[in-house]
Amino acid sequence: MDVAAVPAVGYMVRRAQRGFDDAKVPLLGVMGAFVFAAQMINFPVGIGTTAHLLGGALLAYTLGPAAASVTMASILAIQALVFQDGGILALGPNMINMAVAGVLAGYLPFYLWGGGRWRRASIFAGGVLSALVSAVLALAELLISGVRMPLSILAVSLSLFLVAAVLEGAITVAVIGALEKIQPNFVRQPRQGRPFALGAAALAGLLLAAVGVLVAAAAPDGIQKLGIQTGIASRAQALFSTPFTGYQAAFLAAGWQRKTLGGLAGLALVYGACLLFGRAVARKRSA
Amino acid sequence: MHHIVLERWSRGASALHRLDPRAKIVPLLALLAALATARHALPEFSAAVFAMLCAALVAARIPLFAALARAALVLPFAVVFAAVCWLSGDPARGLALALKSYLSALAVLTVVATTPLPVLLRGLELLRVPLFLLTVAQFLYRYLFVISEEAQHMRKAAAARGTPARPLESAGARFRAAAGALAVLFARSYGRAQDVHRAMLARGFTGRLHPLFDLRFRPADAAFAALASLAPVAARLAIERIR
Repeated sequence: MDVAAVPAVGYMVRRAQRGFDDAKVPLLGVMGAFVFAAQMINFPVGIGTTAHLLGGALLAYTLGPAAASVTMASILAIQALVFQDGGILALGPNMINMAVAGVLAGYLPFYLWGGGRWRRASIFAGGVLSALVSAVLALAELLISGVRMPLSILAVSLSLFLVAAVLEGAITVAVIGALEKIQPNFVRQPRQGRPFALGAAALAGLLLAAVGVLVAAAAPDGIQKLGIQTGIASRAQALFSTPFTGYQAAFLAAGWQRKTLGGLAGLALVYGACLLFGRAVARKRSA
Repeated sequence: MHHIVLERWSRGASALHRLDPRAKIVPLLALLAALATARHALPEFSAAVFAMLCAALVAARIPLFAALARAALVLPFAVVFAAVCWLSGDPARGLALALKSYLSALAVLTVVATTPLPVLLRGLELLRVPLFLLTVAQFLYRYLFVISEEAQHMRKAAAARGTPARPLESAGARFRAAAGALAVLFARSYGRAQDVHRAMLARGFTGRLHPLFDLRFRPADAAFAALASLAPVAARLAIERIR
């Protein structure tokens, strides 16, 4: 994935460089800092729970997709280098998931329908998609690289991601709405009247591709075959270095009770870890 | 904020600090590649890498335990997946995941803690990483703390007006208030970016940042780079041969 990330990010950098004069560098940097800082402003959702903005879609609507990609990529790089957050080995996949795929997926609905009657809906859909596509890709990569997840855990994490994605959509809509009140020209105005059917087809294709990646990843036989053909698997495998040998045998040997138990325990663990982490962060922030 | 620790460490004056950044980035890449692709005898190899990194940290006079604890910041995410692996009957894979993510974070930390960020980015630039990306990253780092402080002020101001103490308003209204705060922060950041840009133009900015220091790749740097790049590879080969 690191190998794939280099040309993708390189291409987006080239695009952004062409679209902007070099003099816009400060803008991208400061807006990256803004996305960092935006995590400090909490949105209340439900009882005692808060969420915050991820920012991919918001940046795409204001700075344009190429510039948003570069900004997100540099955010991820700084996070991995300075804050020990996200990990350096995962930097390549993270850049693909969030800076390239997430931003583009988030921009697509806005690009298609952002100029017309469906503006708000498209902003919402973009926010949802940007978060969802990143999450699904990350999950698929983990599966491809050999991390075995019982179906129950997979389903639960997917639904959690879905909730997070809907929140991102809602926050993006709210912030864009507020921004347009402050100064309407902050937000880009895509051209009107793009054919609806074309857009719907593109979107459906995107969703199908995401689901397809996940299904393929969840069914290791298929991906193993595909991986041998394309060499993707070996590259992804190198990430966590997990040989496929003995994989299936071990998987079948584990009884369903064990899998279910493992799933539930893992779920409890994830929940507990999130809770503790959230508490710790909240305490630090209120101090 | 906790970043200041790293900033202070990176201003040290040990031999490791004085090395050319390129002489640290290349061995880091070699180490990461060796680590990422290691399969057999991973625990032994991890121990060797750990010892090397600890030696480097001690040689750089960086407080060892603080550095080890800092690198553990990467763990929460990795450990969750490692636990999932473990519970679904593959402890070796889970262990590998946790070990690799911790050691790679420690390796990066060792380099970042011995190199001030502008110098590190300049080194990356000389290694042909796109300049545009690096310049954006540098600006991001520069204004990160400014904008974060602004966000903190806004939070404090909101708290002074009683926002979190007693949510009298409905959840929807508070949601909209948070969105408004974020929009204001966006507008202020944007305005600040424009001010910064104008100030830079007034001082003759042409799209390139000129570093105020000169990097020279001396023979000592080359020797260190070669040795430090070979060390993890040799260690891995030796360990895998023994096993």
